[in-house]
Amino acid sequence: MTSEQITIGKSGAPPGARPRWLKFIRKYYIAYLFIAVPLLSMIAFLYIPMIISFWWSLNDYSGLQAARFIGLGNYIELLTHDKVFTKSLVNTTLFVLMGMGIGPTLGLLTALLLNQKARFQTLFRTAYFLPVMTSLVVVATIWVMLYNQNGLFNTILVDLGLSRVGWLSDPRYSLFSVVIASVWQGFGFETVVFLAALQSIPKEFYEAAMIDGAGAMQRFWYITLPSLRPVIVFVYIIGIIGSYQVFDQVYVMTSGGPVYSTSTIVYYLFTKFRDLRLGYASAIAYILFAILVIFSYLQMRLSRER
Amino acid sequence: MRAVSKRPRHNLRRSLIYLVLAVTSILMLVPFYWSVVTSFKLEQFVFTNPPQWWPNPLTLHNYLSVLTNIPFPRYFANSVFVALATTLGHVFFDTLAAYAFAKLTFPGRDRIFFIMLLALMVPFQVNLIPLYRIMAILHWTDSYAALIVPNLTSIFGIFLMRQFLLSIPNEMLDAARIDGCGEFGVFSRVVLPLALPGVATLVIFTFMNTWNDFLWPRIVLNSETLFTLPVGLAQLQMKNTSNQAQIMAGTVLTALPMILVFLFMQRQFIEGMTAGAVKE
Repeated sequence: MTSEQITIGKSGAPPGARPRWLKFIRKYYIAYLFIAVPLLSMIAFLYIPMIISFWWSLNDYSGLQAARFIGLGNYIELLTHDKVFTKSLVNTTLFVLMGMGIGPTLGLLTALLLNQKARFQTLFRTAYFLPVMTSLVVVATIWVMLYNQNGLFNTILVDLGLSRVGWLSDPRYSLFSVVIASVWQGFGFETVVFLAALQSIPKEFYEAAMIDGAGAMQRFWYITLPSLRPVIVFVYIIGIIGSYQVFDQVYVMTSGGPVYSTSTIVYYLFTKFRDLRLGYASAIAYILFAILVIFSYLQMRLSRER
Repeated sequence: MRAVSKRPRHNLRRSLIYLVLAVTSILMLVPFYWSVVTSFKLEQFVFTNPPQWWPNPLTLHNYLSVLTNIPFPRYFANSVFVALATTLGHVFFDTLAAYAFAKLTFPGRDRIFFIMLLALMVPFQVNLIPLYRIMAILHWTDSYAALIVPNLTSIFGIFLMRQFLLSIPNEMLDAARIDGCGEFGVFSRVVLPLALPGVATLVIFTFMNTWNDFLWPRIVLNSETLFTLPVGLAQLQMKNTSNQAQIMAGTVLTALPMILVFLFMQRQFIEGMTAGAVKE
């Protein structure tokens, strides 16, 4: 005990005092220790790769030879010369528009039906929600079989006296076929979210409206919809952000074909990665990022307005 | 008079609702049913007109072939191992960090948390390619480490758990500290047990995402012995498009574990999936 105090005393500091940095560490080290792994993981696996990726996007880089700086060359080529990228961008946007047009609407309709205090509510809900739990690869594999030239859908069409449809082989229908499979997989999520939101609307609102003589349509329009607004914003933004990243279904069902009719942004990025055009693929990733940032910003604005 | 006339209309409306619910539910289940039925058919009866709604003859041949000719048991073991390891990491690291962000004060806390929230906006595709190179430099490509280590924590998990821990009263933590608990003791003896419902949500969310993950495992794995179920299934589907019955057996085996867990823990699943949507 004494020897330590003596050495400190010799240096002129008051006895018993410790350097400030040591005090700081003693007081806070445990908190920093608790966040250390997520923090380092975020820096090593997210922020550093993100910066590297941005640098690569400004380079002609294959991963094999040294990178060659070309400024905005990749971006210019993507946006002005690359027809397949433009096609992928349009396809993805169409995928988002169709999916978001159908999915949340189906979700809201089923939630409204389920909310009618229906018996077997859990049973029905399970049926809608089951595909949400299922991996997209599984879903895509099942739908490839249903869409087969001699598959169940075409068999039914033939039985009805109609002709077969090239669901995935005809470029006019392929993207829409992928949309249908994706909506089937995903809308149960929206059902469940809307149902939870519907159940949290106070009953008094409806009772008061009934006393005032409001009809069913009016109650839906003036009570249900406004109460659901924050959830609707959430569902659409999350849905748009997720749909813009569509990949698994495309990979399994069509590999982007036929004639690029189902090529999407991330699928195209994947093919460029496979072709070792790493700089070019990074630029695609950053264009996707820019699109998503716009929607994230929109969400922040819209959910703050509550 | 009115009461009398209202009744039948009410019943009609109810029956209509049930009818719509029943028909749409059955339509939702048809693709599942069709894949299960197909998996028990002989190859030549997969695409018949009229369709075979029940396998005749019923065969286990496809399952035997998937389990012996293709390393599906190995895919299954890989999926279980990776999902469990990742989930354990999340429960420990996410909750620990969430505790620090929710209940401890330290310089830079809010700034660091904000930087983490910003990172939530970055789509995985942006860091995908450099991450692959980092794995290559570490000699981790084509290994379990590449699947597990970059995914040991998640910012969303920290955010979720922080929301949960904020509701724990500080007095309980102070009481434990007075009783001589260190911060880690407070965490493991007081915070973790109180946060169990949140942990259940986190477990389900993480396990499901890892189990179903496709893009990253598809890119980072080459050896068939390391494939997870979705990667193995996608490979099976692309390799022999001729035998749909066998592919369906693989599909059923891939989907079944998740569906079984879901049926037993439905409430937690739905809470886990909708967390953040309604609660805020």
